[in-house]
Amino acid sequence: MRVAIGARLRVPKLKRKAVIAVVDDDESVRETTKGLIRSVGFSAEAFGSAEDFLASHHLGRTDCLIADVNMPGMSGLDLHERLAGAGKTIPTILITAYPNERIRMRALNAGVRCYLPKPFAEGDLLGCLRAALGNGTSSC
Amino acid sequence: MKLATVQSAPAASRRNRSAVLLRIATAAIAAGAFIADTIDPNDISYPLLYVVVVLLAARFCYGRNLVFVAAGCLALLVLSYLISPPIGPTEDALLRMSIRGTVIAVTAYLVLQSQSAQAGEREKAALLDLTQDTIFVRNMDDVITYWNRGAAELYGWSAEEAVGRVTHDLLKTRFPAPLTAINAELHSLGRWDGELVYTKRNGSEVAVASRWALQRDRQGNPTSVLETNNDITERKRAENALQLAQAELAHVARMSTLGELAASIAHEINQPLAAIVNGAGAGLRWLDRQPPDLDEARQMLTRILKDGNRAADVIGRIRALVRKSPVKMDRLAINDVVLDVIALARSDIERNRAVLRTRLADDLPPIQGDRVQLQQALLNLVVNAIEAMRDHEPRELLITSGNDEAQNVVVTVHDSGPGLDPETVGRIFQSFFTTKADGMGMGLSICRSIVEAHGGQLSARPNEPRGARFEIALPREQAQARHAADTSKAAALTIPSYNA
Repeated sequence: MRVAIGARLRVPKLKRKAVIAVVDDDESVRETTKGLIRSVGFSAEAFGSAEDFLASHHLGRTDCLIADVNMPGMSGLDLHERLAGAGKTIPTILITAYPNERIRMRALNAGVRCYLPKPFAEGDLLGCLRAALGNGTSSC
Repeated sequence: MKLATVQSAPAASRRNRSAVLLRIATAAIAAGAFIADTIDPNDISYPLLYVVVVLLAARFCYGRNLVFVAAGCLALLVLSYLISPPIGPTEDALLRMSIRGTVIAVTAYLVLQSQSAQAGEREKAALLDLTQDTIFVRNMDDVITYWNRGAAELYGWSAEEAVGRVTHDLLKTRFPAPLTAINAELHSLGRWDGELVYTKRNGSEVAVASRWALQRDRQGNPTSVLETNNDITERKRAENALQLAQAELAHVARMSTLGELAASIAHEINQPLAAIVNGAGAGLRWLDRQPPDLDEARQMLTRILKDGNRAADVIGRIRALVRKSPVKMDRLAINDVVLDVIALARSDIERNRAVLRTRLADDLPPIQGDRVQLQQALLNLVVNAIEAMRDHEPRELLITSGNDEAQNVVVTVHDSGPGLDPETVGRIFQSFFTTKADGMGMGLSICRSIVEAHGGQLSARPNEPRGARFEIALPREQAQARHAADTSKAAALTIPSYNA
């Protein structure tokens, strides 16, 4: 019973189950990030590239976007800016294996909620995620 | 042949005094002979003193002057005869006088001949002193019999000190081969040349290029060894320094390539680490559920295992790359080398937003090679290709493997960069040639060395429709075995060092 309460505390109460899109060209990172998000009770979809995500039917019902910065073709930051430019802003968390202060500043100025260097602590990602889902204006 | 090369001032004045005394004595003997012959014309012994005069005069008169001395002696002989003719028949007296005259003339002639031979010797000896080379002669017991000025200057012992000493005791010779083998060659061929190390008088060592010639008498018996030596200490030092510098540069180049890849390496490690941390977190949550979701947890654990191994592989590859490992020839499939390099360069490729395509032939024969070295060479080509495309869209990197007409195994790296400048294409493989602002210009030259050490060739040509194409052609296993045999033969010629 205590476990059930704990689990309920962790999962934000939403009208429907929140859908998180994970976009990363590295299969391992993509699948384990998706697994982590699913394990806390969210619904998650994984995409190998920004282009795949844009072409999918999940685009319109994604509540939060977790995207890798360094990908062949369109980068995670490009994806965020493109969505914002089209007026379809999705709360975005960027993850990267090449932490770079200049890009971090550019990302945060462009409205990205979190910029997380890989490997990131589970708590950091989930904290960012809750903030992104719970309150449109909060940032980390 | 021994020459006095140094004269002190007192010695020179002593020599002058004795020369003057010699001239006075010679003149006195001539005068005495004339007086005695004139007073006692029947004594046949007095005119023989003229022979002594000619022989003494030969010490300070040369060539024409000696002829004048001899003519003077003959004139005095005739003058004595005219002043006081000997008692007895005139024919006998004339005969005696002509015999005496002939003896004087023949003596003068022989002395003149000997003088010119000595002059020739002196000229030769002076020539030997003129040369920068060190020259010495030693007899068959290795005792030094001649020592030129060059030898005195290089080794520090004067001719007086060196002559009479045993060569290899004096110079503490270090031979490149056992002395018996060297002497055997000297006696069978009549000469030997090689590099020796001598110890100078001041204790320092000098490396010389040495040439020995065996001298024989008319019966063919060896009499002496003529040895000329050139000081090559500086050259050897420069050669050693160059070799050291090249090894260092190769290492620096390898390390700087790694430096450029350091960020990529961090990426290579951080990707699996991120996956492991995520997977472990997710796995724990699935296990914490009531009831635990074992399938989901198992999936995450499988991922963790895979990514743990992936990280270990990355470390293993980097270690192999960094180690200054000796060349290790193994039987290799070239495609494995290509896949290693792609794994190492993948993050670099991604970071630069290049698109990698591969077209690897699957029926290639194996090659003999050092896996790490070939990785390096190919990695360098791939990194170059990525850099070349940095400011050129689209960035298309194509790596192919296959056979060429000569049945070589060929790996080609194609890029879509600016291509090769026809003016510099001939120089790109030279050391220190670079078109990069921060490059050392060692990469391609090292690549070529590696490929050539494998009996292969590295070439560059334009790519279609644009960019450049670098091609490594390596002989297949059997053809390579022959090359390796040739190389080991050449290596066997390196002679170890022996001490005298």
